[in-house]
Amino acid sequence: MRPSSTPFASAPPTVRPFSSSGPVAGSESSNFRPTPPGAPSTLTPFSAVGPSPPSRFIDPSVPSPSVKSVPPSGVPYQRFPTPPFPSAAQTPPNRAPPVGQPPFQPPASHVSVPPPSFRPQTQVPPVPMGSLPQNANFPEPPSDPSLSGPRPNFQPPFPGYPSKQPAVSQAPSPFSAQQGSFMAPPAPPSPFPIQQVSYGPPPPVANNLGYQSRDQMQHPGSAPPIGGVQSLTEDFSSLSVASMPGSIEPGLDYRTLPRPLDGDEVPSSFLEMYPMNCDPRYLRLSTSAIPNSQSLVSRWHLPLGAVVCPLAEAPEGEEVPVINFASTGIIRCRRCRTYVNPYVTFTDAGRKWRCNICSLLNDVPGEYFANLDATGRRVDLDQRPELIKGSVEFVASTEYMVRPPMPPLYFFLIDVSISAVRSGMIGVVAQTIRSCLDELPGFPRTQIGFITYDSTIHFYNMKSSLTQPQMMVVSDLDDIFVPLPDDLLVNLSESRNVVETFLDSLPSMFQDNVNVESAFGSALKAAFLVMSQLGGKLLIFQNSLPSLGVGRLKLRGDDLRVYGTDKEHILRIPEDPFYKQMAADLTKYQIGVNVYAFSDKYTDIASLGTLAKYTGGQVYYYPSFQSDIHGEKLRHELARDLTRETAWEAVMRIRCGKGIRFSSYHGNFMLRSTDLLALPAVDCDKAYAMQLSLEETLLTTQTVYFQVALLYTASCGERRIRVHTAAAPVVTDLGEMYRQADTGAIVSLFCRLAIEKTLTSKLEDARNSLQLRIVKALREYRNLYAVQHRLGARLIYPESLKFLCLYGLALSKSVPLKGGYADAQLDERCAAGFTMMALPVKKLLKLLYPSLTRIDEYLLKPSAPADDFKNIMKRLPLVAESLDSRGLYIYDDGFRFVIWFGRMLSPDIAKNLLGPDFAAELSRVSLTEQDNEMSRRLMKILKKLRESDPSYYQLPYLVRQDGWYHWLCRLDNANTPTSPAKLMIYRSSLLNVVNSSAPADESSPGVKTTTGKKGFARLGLLSMVVASISCLDVGQRQKTLKTGSA
Amino acid sequence: MTMIARVTDGLPLAEGLDDGRDLADAEMYKQQVKALFKNLSKGHNEASRMSIETGPYVFHYIIEGRVCYLTMCDRAYPKKLAFQYLEDLKNEFERVNGAQIETAARPYAFIKFDTFIQKTKKLYLDTRTQRNIAKLNDELYEVHQIMTRNVQEVLGVGEKLDQVSQMSSRLTSESHIYADKARDLNRQALIRKWAPVAIVLGVVFLLFWVKTKLW
Repeated sequence: MRPSSTPFASAPPTVRPFSSSGPVAGSESSNFRPTPPGAPSTLTPFSAVGPSPPSRFIDPSVPSPSVKSVPPSGVPYQRFPTPPFPSAAQTPPNRAPPVGQPPFQPPASHVSVPPPSFRPQTQVPPVPMGSLPQNANFPEPPSDPSLSGPRPNFQPPFPGYPSKQPAVSQAPSPFSAQQGSFMAPPAPPSPFPIQQVSYGPPPPVANNLGYQSRDQMQHPGSAPPIGGVQSLTEDFSSLSVASMPGSIEPGLDYRTLPRPLDGDEVPSSFLEMYPMNCDPRYLRLSTSAIPNSQSLVSRWHLPLGAVVCPLAEAPEGEEVPVINFASTGIIRCRRCRTYVNPYVTFTDAGRKWRCNICSLLNDVPGEYFANLDATGRRVDLDQRPELIKGSVEFVASTEYMVRPPMPPLYFFLIDVSISAVRSGMIGVVAQTIRSCLDELPGFPRTQIGFITYDSTIHFYNMKSSLTQPQMMVVSDLDDIFVPLPDDLLVNLSESRNVVETFLDSLPSMFQDNVNVESAFGSALKAAFLVMSQLGGKLLIFQNSLPSLGVGRLKLRGDDLRVYGTDKEHILRIPEDPFYKQMAADLTKYQIGVNVYAFSDKYTDIASLGTLAKYTGGQVYYYPSFQSDIHGEKLRHELARDLTRETAWEAVMRIRCGKGIRFSSYHGNFMLRSTDLLALPAVDCDKAYAMQLSLEETLLTTQTVYFQVALLYTASCGERRIRVHTAAAPVVTDLGEMYRQADTGAIVSLFCRLAIEKTLTSKLEDARNSLQLRIVKALREYRNLYAVQHRLGARLIYPESLKFLCLYGLALSKSVPLKGGYADAQLDERCAAGFTMMALPVKKLLKLLYPSLTRIDEYLLKPSAPADDFKNIMKRLPLVAESLDSRGLYIYDDGFRFVIWFGRMLSPDIAKNLLGPDFAAELSRVSLTEQDNEMSRRLMKILKKLRESDPSYYQLPYLVRQDGWYHWLCRLDNANTPTSPAKLMIYRSSLLNVVNSSAPADESSPGVKTTTGKKGFARLGLLSMVVASISCLDVGQRQKTLKTGSA
Repeated sequence: MTMIARVTDGLPLAEGLDDGRDLADAEMYKQQVKALFKNLSKGHNEASRMSIETGPYVFHYIIEGRVCYLTMCDRAYPKKLAFQYLEDLKNEFERVNGAQIETAARPYAFIKFDTFIQKTKKLYLDTRTQRNIAKLNDELYEVHQIMTRNVQEVLGVGEKLDQVSQMSSRLTSESHIYADKARDLNRQALIRKWAPVAIVLGVVFLLFWVKTKLW
């Protein structure tokens, strides 16, 4: 933008001209002018630009915004005339061309020319893109000289300009001579459209030329008013969903809302900038541009921080290299304890190295010394993965151990009361454990042990010399003791036979148990006593509300009356301090807890889940578990839990450069000191988020570095340190921060913050604060660029955050946050909350915006090759229009499949897939493989989908269209504060208020709301509705859904 | 508590599963063991078999093939059994891991051995089992001449040496300082002695010079 101002004065023939043209956006004349000078030099930029214009145009096509913009345009317009005109007049040869699109024909013309053409065409939305290229060709291609030629045409329009609107109408005629084709088609009866159109489209061109290499966002603010306006307009037009506050329906075409159909998109520019950074699957920053001052942070509004998944699964060939320094010892900075990484610099002929985080000069140990070559790089760089890779693992020496590496240890605490027996849970669990015995990590050191409990606690002696396990019953719940010093926890490889015998007989042992009580707290204490020697993983299978002994819980239940009051959040935090205390003790002894809950009644997941929350564990919740329905899911998820690679007795710390620090941490863990996360057991499905804050008012460095270090014991008994290093630039500009933002990380942080907020305040508050922050951020962004009046009431947002609103919406509709009393069962809410606190970014986004795929065509195709899987699985936007009543769809949110049968779906398909009882109520049909090609193919698809996301098992739910509508209605009617419509209106009205120069909103708020709701109900339909399938309470689900196992 | 470590550099190779339940200050004893290994690796050559008393417990260790096998037990526990236990460990350890001992680069490289340690320990735990009584009575295995010393003594050896070298180095540095100071004093004395004379002479010469100038 800056350049733009200069062009007018001196009219240097460079890139700038274009930019200048950009600003003019409002008036046609302006466009013309800039182009000519630029023509010669512009060539290069031009070519690059070529492709981009099309994309921009699409958005502008939305009619409503343009209309609005007209009035404001007047203002800018007047300013323009003076600068542009004089110049044009004075230097006719140069400037003249601008008027006529023809002048543009020269190289520059390619760019500029298209805009004119677009205006007319834009009105016919789809076309413009195609036209662009053509225009370019059409003018006399390469001629700076040509300028003179165009001039004549130009002149006529000029006079017209002063009187804008009339001018427009006149303008066509002159143009038509040269570019008749363009003008003619638009030939808009009302001058407005023409002008309007022009605003939108032309700017893009300008932008492309001028800014291409630079950030468009960054500079606009500083640019002269004119230039700023135009370029901005285009930016916005390209970015914005043009929404007029007054007229939402036309402006907000929900179809044009950006939708994350490609799933999670990781910003790549960042990686390119710092190729030695660790892969984003390990560490993602909410913005890859770190603000340099406190004021910038406060204007950013979105969370500033990072999401870390230290053990994320790496694809084949990208495993983290393991490095053993042996006698040298691990190289770390003396002062800040940073591990050696690719960003340290070696100086003094290789004898010293400078820490990149605290910039202290350290000595290089003798064994690690290597000469530097001419460019200052170590000559042995190739042999030192730690100096070229962002992610490495060091083998830890004895200083990193307080005790010898522990063996992998699995301890099972199984509820055997009557409800557990009835649901069949015990059988599934026993079978699954037995089948996983071979795959438990850490052979031959793996330790295993069991305790079962109802109103008493049963210990099992599994000494290897026995042939059968001995059961010991302890009924003293108040003073729990361990009946046997050893052999309750045994080495699996030695006692294998006894363990197998035990698991085989476990289901039958309690077959006739009629005990309804559950002495959970005491059993937990007993397990703690047995495990405290070694630590390990404790898996709890709980089927009812703990009713005896310590930690007994009340049926505090879900009370409608509590919702909306200050006591609401109390339902979501543990009732008995016992659980938190216990969790603290467990963590101290390196015990990680995973809770499996199965009850059909209230089990107070809020309390039970606390155990998992503070020990780095996870909550699995299977409401109303029935082994024949949910068995498969439990089997897979338990098997995954037992066999995935696990890091034991781990601690994690994240370091960062001077001036910033991590101020808060979010996820499932226990904070041991201010910045040390204790993680008794951690695996690839866990992610942790943290927020940054600035310590100093001004950062002076150019780059800041982050280093995540996870010290853990691998299952094989090695103690290791996994180190991920990343660098990020420090910026002084808010626009750059927005440009580098990472929606995934932001949503992940938002999610955790919101869920944490539900533990201290009302659901509504949590949602509101989430909305407020998004609104504030958008408003800030708008203020940044919206000195321009013309943008008036549009909703604008940066490209990098185009999905933010959608995800924000989905988030406030997600199970832990949505609605009130009736929208989700308390247990479900809590369980989902615990789960989402630990989910890695990718899975979270998938849960928030699930994929929807149409498969009936594929199933019907006579012989589809197996390898075109990718082609079939094309994600559809989650709107009601995506669903065709003749189709068959799979909806996949990473936790479940919903298979949707359209009402008009051909009965053949249904018959083939469901067998003879296809006409029955779907909730009573289970999906099993039938003996025909179609069914096999469906199963194959499901299998492939599951393989792509193995951390959870997706049970298929079958749904027929009618049932579906039932839900839709439910949602549509939901007049909760979170309804998308309201959110959106809230947002746009806020924006409106903020922008004082925006045209006054004529429609009354009441009108707005209603219209908005209508428009948005549609938007919200599927996207939100679908996401909230689980909102159905159990009864309803049984009615409308039915699961089947593959 | 049982530990196996390499003598050359004190690198721990294996350790029994933690069983500190009955020990109040297991941490302290562990530190002592580590100090002991460090001492051994420094090459204070010790007898290959030794018992070291510490509080109510005794460390027994044997060194064989550059590997030290150490266990801690009650004072009351028969020495004979303890050494047989270590002997068993040694045989098994050499059989399983003998070849890799020298090349092990990371601590606890043979942690898998802990299950064997655990098992063997259980066999020896109860002194009254038939098997152990038989071993006790077996006179073939002679342990009487094994030295018993106190842990403070053992750890002290190193400390004392350190102290001596420290003292000597302090001595040298102090003597240097002394020499410097002496030289300084000497010079000062010299100045003090001759300064008046020099001043007088200076004045005389000055007078002479003034005189010649004036006249």
